[in-house]
Formats: sequence, structure tokens, C-alpha cells
Amino acid sequence: MRVPVRRLLLPLAALCAFAAAGARGDGYDRWWEPGEGRTFPVQLDYPNDQGTLRLLLTGGPLETKGHPFFEPLGPNGRACITCHQPADSMSLSAQTARERWDTTQGEDPLFAASDGSNCPTLPQGDRASHSLLLKRGLFRIQLPWPTREWNGKPIVPDFRIEVVRDPNGCNSGPKYGPAAGNLSVYRRPRPLANMKYLLAVGFPFDPKQGYALPLDPDTHKPMSGNLMADNRTGNLRLQMEDASSTHLAFARRLTREQIDRITDFEMRIFAAQQTSNRGGAVDTLGARGGPAKLRDSEPGQLGSIGEPVWSEFAAWEHIPPADAARLKPEELAFRQSVARGAKVFRDKTFLITDSAGINSRIGFGNPVRNSCVFCHNMTQMGNDVAPGQVDLGTTTMPFADPMPDLPLFRITCLKAPHPHYGRVFYTMDPGFGLTSGRCADVGKITLQSMRGLSARAPYFSNGLAKDLRGVVDYYDRRYNIGYTEQEKQDLVNLMSVL
Amino acid sequence: MKTIAALLMLAAPMAAQAQETGSLVRFVACPTYRDADSGRKSGCWLADDRATGRRWDVSLSPYKPDWNFAVLVEGRVTDAKPDACGAPVLDPVRTSRLLDQPCVRHMLPAEGYPGRRYKLQGRYIDPLSVPRAVPPGPYAERTFPVYFEFDNDFLIYQYDDYLLDKAVTWIRAAKPKKLVVTGFAATVPEMVSGQRIAERPEVARERAETIAETLRRLVEVPVEVKWQAGSQPTAEPDADRLPGQSQRRAEIRALF
Repeated sequence: MRVPVRRLLLPLAALCAFAAAGARGDGYDRWWEPGEGRTFPVQLDYPNDQGTLRLLLTGGPLETKGHPFFEPLGPNGRACITCHQPADSMSLSAQTARERWDTTQGEDPLFAASDGSNCPTLPQGDRASHSLLLKRGLFRIQLPWPTREWNGKPIVPDFRIEVVRDPNGCNSGPKYGPAAGNLSVYRRPRPLANMKYLLAVGFPFDPKQGYALPLDPDTHKPMSGNLMADNRTGNLRLQMEDASSTHLAFARRLTREQIDRITDFEMRIFAAQQTSNRGGAVDTLGARGGPAKLRDSEPGQLGSIGEPVWSEFAAWEHIPPADAARLKPEELAFRQSVARGAKVFRDKTFLITDSAGINSRIGFGNPVRNSCVFCHNMTQMGNDVAPGQVDLGTTTMPFADPMPDLPLFRITCLKAPHPHYGRVFYTMDPGFGLTSGRCADVGKITLQSMRGLSARAPYFSNGLAKDLRGVVDYYDRRYNIGYTEQEKQDLVNLMSVL
Repeated sequence: MKTIAALLMLAAPMAAQAQETGSLVRFVACPTYRDADSGRKSGCWLADDRATGRRWDVSLSPYKPDWNFAVLVEGRVTDAKPDACGAPVLDPVRTSRLLDQPCVRHMLPAEGYPGRRYKLQGRYIDPLSVPRAVPPGPYAERTFPVYFEFDNDFLIYQYDDYLLDKAVTWIRAAKPKKLVVTGFAATVPEMVSGQRIAERPEVARERAETIAETLRRLVEVPVEVKWQAGSQPTAEPDADRLPGQSQRRAEIRALF
């Protein structure tokens, strides 16, 4: 049997990488290999650049041997765990992807040609062919075009898509692109933790779409609309089937038992930052940060009529002198900054303009004055209580930053023009428009989860912001907010402890 | 008799003596945003009636303007002081976005006006976690109207959701055999601010289908859809004494 030289070099490379990974504290244990059979404990801590992420598993430890979340189901060697790593708050950071490349010389199933490379047509051994995953943490998402409903029913879109730029070759040619009946966009994996919040339904209507919430095809109950970036699947079963058939290349349907076991795990896992390198534990001196509060709270509560968003840190607004004296000056300053950041998040208003899902079709007005919690309104979680499809402009011109390594599409509305972009406009990812087939929905991306951020850079669906400061800076220039330097730092510090 | 009196009041002449308290004004204008800041949602919307030269505070509309497009303003004059936004107040008022009439966006500074501090009041719904009170019987055939902006089938937040929530709560308790949803459109042309305006006939069907789809998601009762052009005003209280609003509606009729 011929063994590739690259495979023989892997153990050596892994040893080198172990030394490098030591900077993040825990070497081999950090990466969960599919099928390795580790026990998932009830509490698991992982260091990151800002402190420590903590994962809590309710209901006792989980033997992962034979568990469908942890076992490779398809032929490509991947499991759900491959792209939803505990150390990365059940998502995958670009840094982890780079470490994995270095450890395995690109041989890890993570870098499967189908979606872990920029395009399967590229030479797979070249690092450059995986640049979007390594640099921006992006996976290729190939979707049918024209779009179809979850049950396969075709949708007639009210817009036309043309490819303007295809730097990776996956939107043109005989197999790829709108002419071939599909479209490739590139997105970050969303964290599979704290799921009870993402599935929670607060109100019966979707005010952004102007309908009652759609019903779950399995339970016939309303769906939250907060699972996927483009809201193409509304329940966990559909999401699993989508992911297993694409990312895992699993040719069969998941069994009911497999779906139930994956659901069971996903509903039991909670993740949040537990300690800060600069501020200490986030659940001390009256603060209630960390995953335990998430685990124990009722999901789906609107912060504006209940417990205000990020009030977990309200006690740090006024730390009593006796307590303050026990902290190092820099720890005290950091905690005060986090508390200020929570207030800025809730109270600093600005004019929100030309954002579909906020300024149209819903009647808040364009512009409307509000703060971050206008959309990030769910207590403890910061996602949207209503389905969170909103166009911040992160993928669509002129608001998006130039990202020449991503494809660019020209959108032509065939019926009514887009309320903010007009008849013809340009996007790197049509987002929810690819699901609904409506021009007015192009560019809308479901709000991101805000927990465990320190463990899973970069941010936004297309990795536009390489760090938390990049997130704040994007909002600041998109909406001309005029944050002071102090406010920016306070927001960054807040997000670093969520 | 009460209904006839109400309809006569709705049909009262608009333009000539339209500036008195309670009188109706209706015009098309490019909206102006005043950047008043008393916290979230506190900014002001102003609109100038070209025919009279008067500027109105239209901020209390449940569906607010987009500064890129003209609005059809329909409202009643109040005697409220122009303290909040710097213009006399229309209340009730509606501002329908006219997406085929672009405007130059215009923003005024606050100029000392505070706007209105937002508070949750009026037509809003409780979270699903709050149980709805069961409406008392006996139950018999009943009609529930819901309302729309001009030429539009979009459910208005904190207006239609409230009306639908009430209707659905009653329907769940009453268990009718069938629901008939009829969409209406105000298709008879009218001159407003020198423009001939009329709704598209097809918006009647769009309204009916929007409401029917929403009902199918909320109740397990068969839903039939009808539509009708040439809508006439009604005196239903939730149209807020605005004839144009009452014309732009869909009706949910519960049959036993």
C-alpha cells in the first residue's frame, strides 16, 4: 500500500502545531476529532484570547462514541463536531481553521473540496484554494437557483441574478453558477449552542414580513426564524438534513433516532464567556454573566418589557468601594467599562437608515432613531425575539466593505424596485432573498447569536469584521453613529465577556 | 342611525374649513424628518400641505414615512400645541408611502423640539406567554376588519397585529365553521394635491390572500378568499374616523 508522504509527515506537523496551540492553552484536547469517542463532560472550559469560554451540558455527561453529532456519517470523514467545535463556542473560528491546516497540512476533512475550499475545481492541495476558510472562516454554501421551498416546491423569484465577479470559479462554468441551476455564497458557521433561545417564539407575528409566523412542518407550531443566515430551514430537523446532505456528504436521510439524539445534545449545550483575562470571572460582585444564567433562564423574553438586555452586568455600574478595593485597578476599570458598554448598547441611539427589515416594509420609518437593542432585543441572548432577517449592508453594495475574494452578483428586481437599493444593485450574498425569492429580501441576513463571541472570530455572516472592534467600527460607519473612542472600547469589552 | 351620523361626519367637506379641530386633511407631500431625540423612536415626521402652505406633525401615524418617498397624509386636526415637533398635530393620522414618487431626503435638526418619548400604549399585543382572556359567548356570525396603507397589503405593526390577535382569540373560542376573508381596494380615483390617485384593483386580492395566509397559520378553520374593488368608507371604530383608512381593508367574516 502506498502511503502519501504528506500523511507520514502529519505526526511531526501535529507535534509542531501542539507547541503553537499551547498559546491557547490546551493542545490536543482543543480539537474534537470526529469519532474519537471522548466523553463530553457537564462543564468544559477553553481559554481564548480574551479569557475563558465555558460550556455547560445539562443532564449529565455525554458519551460521544456512536453519537451522530460526533461520528462521521458520510464518506468525507466529517461530523457535525468538525465545524461546531466546543472551544469555538460550537462554531469554528478562522484561527482554528488555520491551526488545523498547519496541523494536518490541509488533510483534515474540514478542508473537503465540496465546501471547505473556495471551489472544488481548484487544486485542493494548495493553501490558496482554501483561503476563504483560512482567512475569513467561510464555508461555501451551494444553493439551488431558482430557489425551492423546504419541501422542494419551486419558488418563482421576482428578481434576476447575474454574476459580475467570480474570483473562485464556483458561480460560472458548466457545473456552477445560476446558469447551471445553482449559486455559491460563502458564510460563517453559526454556533450550535444556547439553542432554546434561537428556537424561542415570543410573539405570533413576523412584523418584518407582515404575516403570522410560518408553521413548523413537523409540529405545526410557529417557528422562530432564527436558525440559519438565510432562514432556509426553520426547524432543527430540516437544518440537520440540509447540513448532513451537504457538509457531511451523507447520501441517506438521517433516521428519526439520529435526529432525536442530535436535537437532544443541541438543546442541552450552553456556551458563554466565563472569565475575562482583564476583568476576572463574569459572575462575581453581583454580575450574572456566563453560561449558568443562560442555562437557567426562560428564553424568548423581550428586554424592553422585562429584564433589560445585558443587565447581567448592571451590578458593575456601581461596585461598592469595599469590593472595588479588592480588585486590581485594571480589573475594576475593565468591569466598569463592561457595565458602560451594556448601557451604550441599550441607550446610545442613532439613526438607522435604509435597512430592509427595519426601515421597510415594516413601518418604523426611514430613518428611525434607536439603539443596538432595537434588533438585539432578547434578554440574555441579544438575538431578535422576532425572526431576525435584517439588511445591515454587510453583504450588499454600497454599504459592504470591498471583499474582492468573494463573488459579486447583480440583482435586477423584476417587479417593484428594492425599497432602498432601487431596480438594480449589487450583492456578495443575497441572503434571505435566496430563500424567499423576493427582491425586497435580498441582503437580509438573520441576526447573529451574541454569546461566546471571543471564541469565534471573525464576525458577520461573511467574516467582514476580523475582530470585535471591527464589528463596532462597521456599525459606526454604516449608521454614522459617532461613537467616542471610550464608547467603542466599552462595547468591545462588553462583547468580549458575553 | 348612529352609523348614518358617523358616515355623514366622515363625509364632511375636507379642504375649505379643514383646519378646525376634528376636521380632516388629506394631501400628498414629501416627508421631512426632524431629528428630535428623546430616546428610541422619538424622532418627528413633518409634512407640508402644498395647497394650504401648512406644515403638520404626522408622527403619530402607525406606519411612518420613508424619507425617500412621498406620503399620502390623512389625518384629523387636533388642538394639541405644537410643542413636540414644531408643527400642529394630526391625530389620528396615516402616512402611506407612495413608492413610485421619489423625494429628496430632508432632515431638520431638533431646533429645541424634544419629539415624543416612546411608550408602549394603544394597539399592541402581549407576548405569547401571556394567556389571552377568552371572550364570552354566545358566539354568532361576526366580522373583523383589518386595515392597510394605500395600495399596500402589508400588516401594520402595532395595528393589524393587534386587530388580528383579538380576532383570532375570538375565533379560537367561537370555533366557527368557516372564515370568509374579503379584501377591498379603493379603486375610485380621487384628486389629492393635484394628483389623481386610486388603488390598484389587484391589491384587494393581495390583502385578502395576506390575511387568509396569516389566518391559516393561526387557526384551524377553513378560510375562503374573496375580493372587491370600489371600496366605500365605513364607520368601524378601528379605522379611527379616517374614511380612506376604512376603505383600505380586509374583512374576516366568521360563519357558523
